[in-house]
Amino acid sequence: MKMLMSTTALALTVTASAATAETEITVWAWGSAAPGLQATVDGFNAQHSDIKVTIEQNGYSDVKSRVLAACAAGGAGLPDVFQFQNVEMELIIAQFPDCAADLVPLGFDDSAQSNFPEFKLFALQQGDKVLGMPWDSGPVMMFYRRDFYENAGVSLEDIETWDDFIEAGKKVQAANDGVTMINDNLNGGAEFFRMIGEEQGCGYFSEDGGEITMAQSGCVAALEVIGKLNEAGLVSAANFNEKIQNNAAGVVATQMSGAWMEGPIRNNAPEDQAGKWGIYEMPSVVDDGARAANFGGSLLAVAGNSDKKEAAYTFLSYALGTVEGQITMLKDQGLVPSLTSALDDPYVSQPSAFWGDQAIWQTVLGRLERIAPINGTEYFSDADQVMIATQTAFLNGEYDSAQAALDEAAKQVMFATGLPVAE
Amino acid sequence: MILKNKAMLRRSLLLHAVIVPLAMLWLIPIWLMFIFATLGDSAIFSPQVRLLPGSEFFENFRRLQEDLDFVRTVFVSFVVALVYTVASVVLTSMAGWAIAIYRFRGKWAVLGLILGTLTLPYFVVVIPQFIMVARDFGLSNTWFALIIPPLFNSLGVLFMRQAFATMPKDLFDAARVEGVTEWQIFRYVAMPLAKPMLAALSIILFLHSWNNYLWPLLISNDKTMMTAPVALGSLFGLMDVSWGGVMVGATLMTAPMLLVFVFLQRFFLTGITAGAVK
Amino acid sequence: MRLHTKTAYGFIGPYLLIFVAFWAWPIIYSFYLSFLSTRRAPWSFNPTMTWGRLTQDPAFYNALKNTLTILAIQVPIMIALACILAVLLNSSLLRARGIMRFAFFAPVVIGEAAYAAVFRLMFNAEFGIVNKALGSIGIGKIDWFANPTAAMALIILAVTWRWVGYNAIIILAGLQSIPKDVYEAAILDAVTPRQQFLYITLPLLKPVIVFCLVLSTIGSMQLFAEPFLITNVGGPGGATETLGLLLYKQAFLNLNFGYASAIAYTIAALALIISALNLWVSRGDDA
Repeated sequence: MKMLMSTTALALTVTASAATAETEITVWAWGSAAPGLQATVDGFNAQHSDIKVTIEQNGYSDVKSRVLAACAAGGAGLPDVFQFQNVEMELIIAQFPDCAADLVPLGFDDSAQSNFPEFKLFALQQGDKVLGMPWDSGPVMMFYRRDFYENAGVSLEDIETWDDFIEAGKKVQAANDGVTMINDNLNGGAEFFRMIGEEQGCGYFSEDGGEITMAQSGCVAALEVIGKLNEAGLVSAANFNEKIQNNAAGVVATQMSGAWMEGPIRNNAPEDQAGKWGIYEMPSVVDDGARAANFGGSLLAVAGNSDKKEAAYTFLSYALGTVEGQITMLKDQGLVPSLTSALDDPYVSQPSAFWGDQAIWQTVLGRLERIAPINGTEYFSDADQVMIATQTAFLNGEYDSAQAALDEAAKQVMFATGLPVAE
Repeated sequence: MILKNKAMLRRSLLLHAVIVPLAMLWLIPIWLMFIFATLGDSAIFSPQVRLLPGSEFFENFRRLQEDLDFVRTVFVSFVVALVYTVASVVLTSMAGWAIAIYRFRGKWAVLGLILGTLTLPYFVVVIPQFIMVARDFGLSNTWFALIIPPLFNSLGVLFMRQAFATMPKDLFDAARVEGVTEWQIFRYVAMPLAKPMLAALSIILFLHSWNNYLWPLLISNDKTMMTAPVALGSLFGLMDVSWGGVMVGATLMTAPMLLVFVFLQRFFLTGITAGAVK
Repeated sequence: MRLHTKTAYGFIGPYLLIFVAFWAWPIIYSFYLSFLSTRRAPWSFNPTMTWGRLTQDPAFYNALKNTLTILAIQVPIMIALACILAVLLNSSLLRARGIMRFAFFAPVVIGEAAYAAVFRLMFNAEFGIVNKALGSIGIGKIDWFANPTAAMALIILAVTWRWVGYNAIIILAGLQSIPKDVYEAAILDAVTPRQQFLYITLPLLKPVIVFCLVLSTIGSMQLFAEPFLITNVGGPGGATETLGLLLYKQAFLNLNFGYASAIAYTIAALALIISALNLWVSRGDDA
């Protein structure tokens, strides 16, 4: 009898786990974020063996366009969870409010939200709803080759402003044959513009999203810096993949990027580059000026039409909402946690051998609290496309000044969006 | 006579001096596609010039399948192209038959509309097509969406009209006297006679669907319903894409069409030139 | 002959149904869309956000300029090359005819995604075979994807590679339909081959060449996949952004369907005007 009961119990357990094991969720992610997230799956399954997570890696623009197309189709074809950039999320919120599920009823209540900084939640809130969970942040850092800088006798104390950086760059290029000081995605992005602009408190749009601010003084200063870098021949064009190739080939001395660049640099470097890389904070435009900005960083949203929202949320709250999940991604791919409590983890203060025994994450996280929210608005890609074209024209000498270029750009964005240009 | 031969020889030499290098130049991309498919990425991105095959084909294929299930996308492309071709051939033949054979009210309006769309860029309809199929019908990632909206084409109708119009009318009239229905005449008399033209049209339509890029890019974003060209293009942006794998994908897309071209060249050329000879 | 209206529509009906659903209605709908601001729901009538913007948008003028540049450079080069190829391939002196035809006609069957991948590798600045070849004859490294002029040249080369055979096939068919006796008379008059080509072949081929021109014009106006796939969505910095690509970005990345529809109609109008111009110019020569 006893035996029979235990067999029945066993049979029941087997059926139960077989039934729940069928919950499978699919996630779309890009770049180094995909392997980072993949690294959390083992830890997640240790707690939730009944949810199988499949992570599909795609290119960034591919994820973006596929998500938008699926949202336009009422959600047809969406995975259960998708990655999106914070600054671009408002496009989805404005046009397809049902495309991303409200996470509050799933458990993302006020106390859960309070674990994340305001600038990461900013774009996700719509009334009482929260349409995604913050993932990583991208405090902007300078990743540099110690050996190239040393060859030129440049020390980091010399670099406070962008003018200092330009002087240093000339020396670095003179001392290292075939090496370019820095890469910017000049052909397909306005990345430096956005980073330096943000450092100077200037974005495409005002904080309330009501005005176009890209012709304000902070942005003008940013474009001027890019002009000077270009004029001095210190910057060459490279998109994300080309930057990685250039790093590996040892033909570039510096990369300026969100801190998430740490993983791609470390994981793609040939062995002989170990210990040769280091990081420092971005230069300022003026003496003693601001030196913090955020670039990139994304969120995970649960598809509004997913029938596995609970399972999806369970995964999110482990991968993004626990210290364990966030630190796994920091270790694996250098994804900087948005989760505030993860910043106290002992791993953060450890030095890293690859980075020349520098305790890089302390430097990075020191930037975090100084970052102000930037409003991407639903018109982000309109403004970005205009800016990319304007930057190209400016660098080709088609404008008399950065101010003139940005006045013209702001006018175009006004036409695209119907928003007024800030005085 | 000798003089003439000399002149001929000179002309022949000149001809080949121009055309042989040009032909080699034109063959390079196709040749390299096959070569790259057999080389590892370190050999593709190396300072040496590699013009001979390596041994990494199956390794590249494995890496391609790892990045995405390319075999599945080829299957989707094949089914889409096949059904599209059959459906389009049937529709355009029937329409071409009606225009070639019958006098009917509104004929010139219909013909005018068909001719009018010949010069109309596809962009004019792609946005509403997308809004309609994706948003209103909610049919993204379906066979319907991949096959039906692109079905309309004006060239096929003109092509088949030409085919039927040049057939002897007496044949059809004789059948009519026997009391055969119009459908039976079309199906059992006219269509068999049009076989070579149907073959030519089929090849062109199949090719068109097989290589179609923009519409499937918009309407199919689920990996299980992606077509091969869209899947291949989506690999370009990956952080650590295997280019050898991409080349295997390109080869899998291209090789069947090259075989079709080589073995069915006659029909293929008829299909292309049909538009020009009106 | 009596009317067969019912029978005829029985045959043509299914085809017309597809036409109405997926062409006729969209054509009307996209015209309507081109007057709407689609930035926020609900969509509202606001042509200044679409047609008004079009007249002032440098991105539109840039795309227009790029498209017309390709049209003005690529199409004439390709058609001239196609004529030469057709004549050469038609020569009775030609050896290895099969291989030669394969070389030029095979690209016609190759999909954009496949050949874009090959061209990306061939024109890779560091390791591509093209720069290696140029280097061996003393020409320095050309950065095909970062230099605006080079990127445009790359698109032109790619499109020409893909489509010259297609046009050569059509022109070759035209050549072969010229009756032999026309040439026999010429040979009696001791006309040189060059004169033969210029004064007999070319005029007789004119309708076919015009047809090719019109086809290529419409094709160029619709160029999308090549700059999308080869030069990284119209890069560098919009240097190869065509009207088709601009439309794609506006419609499917910015979700601005209204403005994109205005661009679509502009493309259609331009294709029509330029095709008509082709026909008109070639007719003018006859008079």
